[in-house]
Amino acid sequence: MIWFITRRLGLAIPTLFGLLVITFVLIRSVPADPAAALAGDNATPAQIAAIRHKFGLDRPLYEQFAIYVNQISRLDFGVSAFSGRLVSFDVRQRLPATLELTTTALLLAVVIGVPLGVIGAVNHNRWPDFLLRTTSVGGIAIATFWLAIMLQLLFSMQLGWLPLRGRLALGLAPPPGPTGFLLIDSVIAGQPAVFWSALQHLILPAITLSLGGMATIARFTRAGVLDTMQKDFVLYERAAGYPRRRLIWIYVLRNSVVATVTQVGLLFGALIAGAVVVESIFDWPGIGDYLVQAILTGDYKVILAVTLVIGVIYVAVNILTDIAHALIDPRLRSG
Amino acid sequence: MELTRRDTVALGVATMLATAARARAAEPDTLVSGDNLPQNLDPHQIFDVPMQGYALNTYDTLYRYEGNPPDMLPWLATSHTTSADGLTWEFKLRPDAKFHDGSTVTAADVVYSFQRVLGLAKAPAGAFLPVLKPTGITAPDATTVRFQLEHSYAPFLAAIPIVSIVNPRVLRPNEKNNDWAAAWLASNEAGSGAYVLDPKTYMPLQRVDVTRFDGHFMGWKENPHPVHAIAYRPTKETSTRLLALMQGSIDWTDSYLPVDDVGQVAASKVAHVAKDQDMRVFLIRMNNARPPFNNVNMRKGFAHAFDYDGFIKDILKGYAQRDPTPMPNTLWGFPKGENGYDFDIKKAKMYFDKAQHEGVNLRAPIEIHIQEALEQTTQAAQLYQSTLAEAGINLKIVNDTWANLTTNCARPETTAQMWVHWVSTYFVDPENWVGQMYDSQFHGTWKASCWYKNATVDALLGKARITIGQAARAPLYEEATRMIVADSPDIWIYNTVDLRGVNNRVKGFRFCPVGGGTEVRWVQLTA
Repeated sequence: MIWFITRRLGLAIPTLFGLLVITFVLIRSVPADPAAALAGDNATPAQIAAIRHKFGLDRPLYEQFAIYVNQISRLDFGVSAFSGRLVSFDVRQRLPATLELTTTALLLAVVIGVPLGVIGAVNHNRWPDFLLRTTSVGGIAIATFWLAIMLQLLFSMQLGWLPLRGRLALGLAPPPGPTGFLLIDSVIAGQPAVFWSALQHLILPAITLSLGGMATIARFTRAGVLDTMQKDFVLYERAAGYPRRRLIWIYVLRNSVVATVTQVGLLFGALIAGAVVVESIFDWPGIGDYLVQAILTGDYKVILAVTLVIGVIYVAVNILTDIAHALIDPRLRSG
Repeated sequence: MELTRRDTVALGVATMLATAARARAAEPDTLVSGDNLPQNLDPHQIFDVPMQGYALNTYDTLYRYEGNPPDMLPWLATSHTTSADGLTWEFKLRPDAKFHDGSTVTAADVVYSFQRVLGLAKAPAGAFLPVLKPTGITAPDATTVRFQLEHSYAPFLAAIPIVSIVNPRVLRPNEKNNDWAAAWLASNEAGSGAYVLDPKTYMPLQRVDVTRFDGHFMGWKENPHPVHAIAYRPTKETSTRLLALMQGSIDWTDSYLPVDDVGQVAASKVAHVAKDQDMRVFLIRMNNARPPFNNVNMRKGFAHAFDYDGFIKDILKGYAQRDPTPMPNTLWGFPKGENGYDFDIKKAKMYFDKAQHEGVNLRAPIEIHIQEALEQTTQAAQLYQSTLAEAGINLKIVNDTWANLTTNCARPETTAQMWVHWVSTYFVDPENWVGQMYDSQFHGTWKASCWYKNATVDALLGKARITIGQAARAPLYEEATRMIVADSPDIWIYNTVDLRGVNNRVKGFRFCPVGGGTEVRWVQLTA
């Protein structure tokens, strides 16, 4: 198992380096001038040229890349052109918000999607199955921004049950905490009001973000369970009078979730990408919104850093997925 | 009674929904602004409309623009004198102004502030770098600041309110590598303004909290119930912004409320729309340095092909005032009686025929760059696309970003063929518009992105820049503007009517084209 994990980790390094090269080249191929972004509105060409020289932006691309790789090897992502702060500081401040949102969305997708898939499979070609298939297609097809606005209109404007935007009510300060996850830190700090407010603010963005993934997981689980239920061991155990509920929810499900687990790994990346839209609509102070601002302002250091951080998370999640696979199916450990 | 797990969950959900804030999220003495924030908090690094909104509340300036049309009022300075040749300017400071750390605002602090602007050489320095050297700023005594200009520069006084006065006693300990504490001030504050920043809660472009400064030199007698705190919580999406206003969780929006939403806001019981005549010109740029817009007949054809009335009356529902020139029609120096170009497809075709005879290829598609987030840029381009199609011109709409568009303005070959934007009030002087947009010395900046060059216009604008006195300068700008209109380098559409959604609890909102009325010291919040 250790060799398996080491090999997976080893493969991650060239993957991340490739990501860095591609992102760097792509960003610097765009005609926007980062020096102009640093200089700000109303700057003269002479001011822009001076800034370009000061930051080495007039050097050859390979030289700039070498400098950048050297910097990030020391975990120095430089200074953001628009915030004027260390990029690492900004990322640390915002990343937990995105991770809290995406993790909650992922949990929702799994906790609701897997049982729905099982129910659909068990009731194959009956009304629960038809309902699941129809609604899951809708869940995948639905536009995130439309769903977000509809949820805002219903739960915030009409019913007044949940907050419209933001991460915490006005007047509440985020608790100091080790994780940056408001739900966890507020529990550690013993601040129930903050926990309650954070939970209320999280619900609509998390539901919006999770719906597509929930539908995908439900469909994959349904297909997996249907396939497993055709296997001989299921027939044998049924014939042996095994309790149906135990048979389906333990033995059939365990043998069916390999594809679903793969999907969960991939889904995490999709959720981080989807968070860009959701964070924008709900004014969620996460890294997706930060990335959008960086793109709009041509802040290439932020774009590179955020892309790399997301890449690292994505690779880490996929390694964990591989490990989960290996735990579920020991045959994969030697593969 | 025994509670099952299911009962417990149901009870929890019910409690959560019951305790959810049905009422407004705002607090009674905190104004929640949904307007945009500057990219960072250093007023000497950033110089744009969102920065004006922040800096007007946290910093003071020697003079300040107030009212509409804006008057320049003594602020930290009580008066000023100018030498006959216009080279020496002296400002007398009031002795009682305090910074937020309690220290007195002195002439030495003003000298430091202007030297910092020049030293950083970022956007706000643009108005001063050509005429002012750091050694030309001195403090003969604690309440006198003297500026010795390199050459006469009439807009100097108008540009004075650009520079926020900062506290060197706070900044110097935070300087690193001679950076003028730029990294520190980007997320902190060192001012004397009516409100004080809480740097602990600051999150770039997301969250700014400020509280009232009781020791502000102006005192608070003019406003017996001032706002205690301002919570800046910008909304990114137009739909969320509107919902937040209608729900009462923000007290005002930005000043670009879509005209389609005006009726809905006006009909609500929660909010109203503040409609104020601004000095913000909306225009479509043409790159005069490249084909086909290096041909004057092509440019005139385009000027006649835009449906000005249709855009203003039908799309903007009348919330704009036709402005046929690059100058705001509410500013001195505007050429009275100048009607510019009207919408006339026949005339447009006539000019296009002339251009074709002069070798212009009318079949080549032309790109117009818009910013999708700014709805009006798209609407203008789409309308233009349809009217130009009638004249046989193929207009392609390209979505772009402000950063891309402005950085590409550095060279004629990278500047967009056409692009749509506004020119806002950075300082109230024709130099802010016609001076910096059409004098060829500004080529390479976004304001001069049409690459227009006319030696006579350059000379007129240069003369206006060194002539002392508004009465003497106004005719020069009028003449220059008429010549520019005759050459048709751009398509000028309207002078903006600002549309800002404002919660009904907000009283005392005072509009000024500089800052758009976001100076909060005059505002009260009613129950």
